[in-house]
Amino acid sequence: MHPVERHLFATDFKDLAGTHLQGTIALSDELINLGIMDFLAGLKAEPAPSAPAAPDQDPAEARPDPRKLLSLLQVNQLEVKAKDGRIVVAVDVKM
Amino acid sequence: MPDLPPPLQALLADPKAHLAGTDIKLVLPLARTLLNEILAARPADTPVEELLLDPDADDFLHVHLEVQAPVIGRVRRRITLRPQGAVAFPDQPWLHLDITDGFRFIDKPILKLMQGQLADKLPRGIELTADHLRLHVPALLTAAGYQKLVPLLRHLQLSSRPNQLVVHLHLSA
Repeated sequence: MHPVERHLFATDFKDLAGTHLQGTIALSDELINLGIMDFLAGLKAEPAPSAPAAPDQDPAEARPDPRKLLSLLQVNQLEVKAKDGRIVVAVDVKM
Repeated sequence: MPDLPPPLQALLADPKAHLAGTDIKLVLPLARTLLNEILAARPADTPVEELLLDPDADDFLHVHLEVQAPVIGRVRRRITLRPQGAVAFPDQPWLHLDITDGFRFIDKPILKLMQGQLADKLPRGIELTADHLRLHVPALLTAAGYQKLVPLLRHLQLSSRPNQLVVHLHLSA
């Protein structure tokens, strides 16, 4: 894991506090479909939920809990529309 | 870019097509500890031996650096920078930071050393004088393989407040 990534995870992203993303993100259908394919490929590659954690895994290398990450976000707007072959996301999110 | 996931590879290959209709603004504060983690992760052969950033109030950004200069040996300096203006494609490609304090007349050898090492080891598009540091953002994005993102750049500006460097970014496609 890159040292900067490790630092962000270990400090619960507090060094990015105050981040604000606002506007419209329009994604092509091709990009959405590539994303779905990539997500499914990732699910297939992951070990079964019952599999024990690798004994030699360093706790410092652990990925953050997605629920904990979401709790850091203030979502003022998150609206998804399909329009002219694109997925349009109106977003206003603060951290 | 073989390590990137396929959607990101496709996006970077043709961002204008995949993001057409996008109009997004990002305010990204970077805390001092994070900035210094980023700097600590720089390649070992970069020009300076020690490099620390200390964002301050009123858009003043202090850089603590230590270099090994010929003849005079190891020297430490605190340089104060102040970001000026914004980058906007295509009219204003430079991210300009005034050097308001730090390089004195006797520091010419240090400046010359850093200019030489910047030219040798870093991509073109970084200009350092006693008065300013300028970054040519399109050239640096191109050197990093992200040249197709350049036309999406509407506004890029830095500001500084105590312990935070803030990046203001506006992208549209």
